[in-house]
Amino acid sequence: MSVAIPRLSGGVPLLGHLLELRRDPVGLMQRCRDECGDIGELRLAGQSMVMLYGEDAQEAFFRAPEEQLDQAAAYPFMKPVFGPGVVFDATPEQRKQALRNRSLRDQAMRGHAQGIAAETERMTASWGDAGSVDLLDFFAELTIYTSSAALIGPEFREELNAELVPLFHDLERGTDAIAYVNPNLPLPSFRKRDRARRRLVAFVQSIFDRREAEGRESKDLFQVLRTIKNPDGSPRYDVTTITGMFISLMFAGHHTTSTTSSWALLELCRHPEWMARVVAELDALFADGGDVSYQALREIPTLESVLKETLRLHPPLILLMRKAMTPFQHKDWVIEPGQMVGVSIAVSNRDPHAFRDPQRFDPSRFEPGREEDQRIFAYIPFGAGRHRCVGAAFAMMQLKAIFSILLRRYEFELAQPPESYKSDHSKMVVQLAQPCRVRYRRRAELAS
Amino acid sequence: MKIRVDLDLCQGHGVCVEEAPELFALDAATSKVVVLEANPPEALRAKLAAAVKYCPTRALRLVEQ
Repeated sequence: MSVAIPRLSGGVPLLGHLLELRRDPVGLMQRCRDECGDIGELRLAGQSMVMLYGEDAQEAFFRAPEEQLDQAAAYPFMKPVFGPGVVFDATPEQRKQALRNRSLRDQAMRGHAQGIAAETERMTASWGDAGSVDLLDFFAELTIYTSSAALIGPEFREELNAELVPLFHDLERGTDAIAYVNPNLPLPSFRKRDRARRRLVAFVQSIFDRREAEGRESKDLFQVLRTIKNPDGSPRYDVTTITGMFISLMFAGHHTTSTTSSWALLELCRHPEWMARVVAELDALFADGGDVSYQALREIPTLESVLKETLRLHPPLILLMRKAMTPFQHKDWVIEPGQMVGVSIAVSNRDPHAFRDPQRFDPSRFEPGREEDQRIFAYIPFGAGRHRCVGAAFAMMQLKAIFSILLRRYEFELAQPPESYKSDHSKMVVQLAQPCRVRYRRRAELAS
Repeated sequence: MKIRVDLDLCQGHGVCVEEAPELFALDAATSKVVVLEANPPEALRAKLAAAVKYCPTRALRLVEQ
């Protein structure tokens, strides 16, 4: 015996709630929660999407096997970004294998910490004693270097430069939810997406050409992919596919870490008492002049709580989706095959049942005794369950390495009114809206 | 203390084996975690806590008795 799923009010003929999703996605998802309760249906063009809310329903969502709730079919806006044969064009079993990525393992991460710190030093080398910086520009470039060095290799990293930043920006801006109607509509953002992808393919080709011309013996992931052959001796992966793999590797860790770095710095500037605590913690930790090592980064509890609270209030992904492949039952409700199912990270992370005073920036909610992040199906900035972000530990390590450098070298303050800093939710990939400038000044005791 | 495993969530990433090889192994057939020591000694508390903290799917819990 199943019960009808409540339908969200509003929406327009044909497009349903799609325009509202593009205009104010967090508002839409919260409205659905407020109006419908733990379960509510909305429409994205011709597609029905059932939203699940609250720890119980979210747990059911995150525990469902791939055969029942499929990821690939739910993200049509990603296929043109990654291209054919990559990630959402692969079978669940292939994806599962690929997820056990060795570069994110503990052993490999030991080498990454110092590299990330060094990249941060390099990016700030030209800063001088004081000035201002646009957070989106700065962190988007920094995280392209750190991610590529860690995930693909230092040699490849050295072949990159600032020209890549706008290309990634165009790919990320090419994730308009209108893709639910058609991911290839003649829209400027989709044209830019496709042009950026073509340029990245040409760029990757030029790297291979140069390596070949110089007769260089490369051993990084790129070269390995290039040498894999089919049984008939032809190359298994063409440059377009390898570029797609590069994009997909970078994509998960790029805009997410970039946006989180920006918001963490902004929240610290807005909350000087927390800034003072974090700076004191870092100064004490590195007082003996020790390196920003992997082990040092494991134990920075106050900074870690600040980062967790930043991720709670400003999750870089706001909506996770699946497509029902078989009937999915939760309590008395049944979601039918073909319907999409969604969980909103943005709404869940501010659920008053799970978080005390949920709108307030309060990193102490993660300190011993409260530990609100132990509610693993409510605190979900990295998702939960079998698909929980496999790079979560890497991301936290990377963020800590970046701030271990920035906050020990410079003092920061807002360069705009505090309420003028906003996330841009007009695309499925969340970015900080520009302008988003802060001022920096080399710390007095360190002034050169 | 006791170790509680949620095999539904475990995807065999093996982070726990790297953090606490005394306590965990991966099953060769299923790729899922196997607990070697259900009631670990106090001396291994820090290692167990790290395994719980860094499990990518949060499949492990440390339960006080």
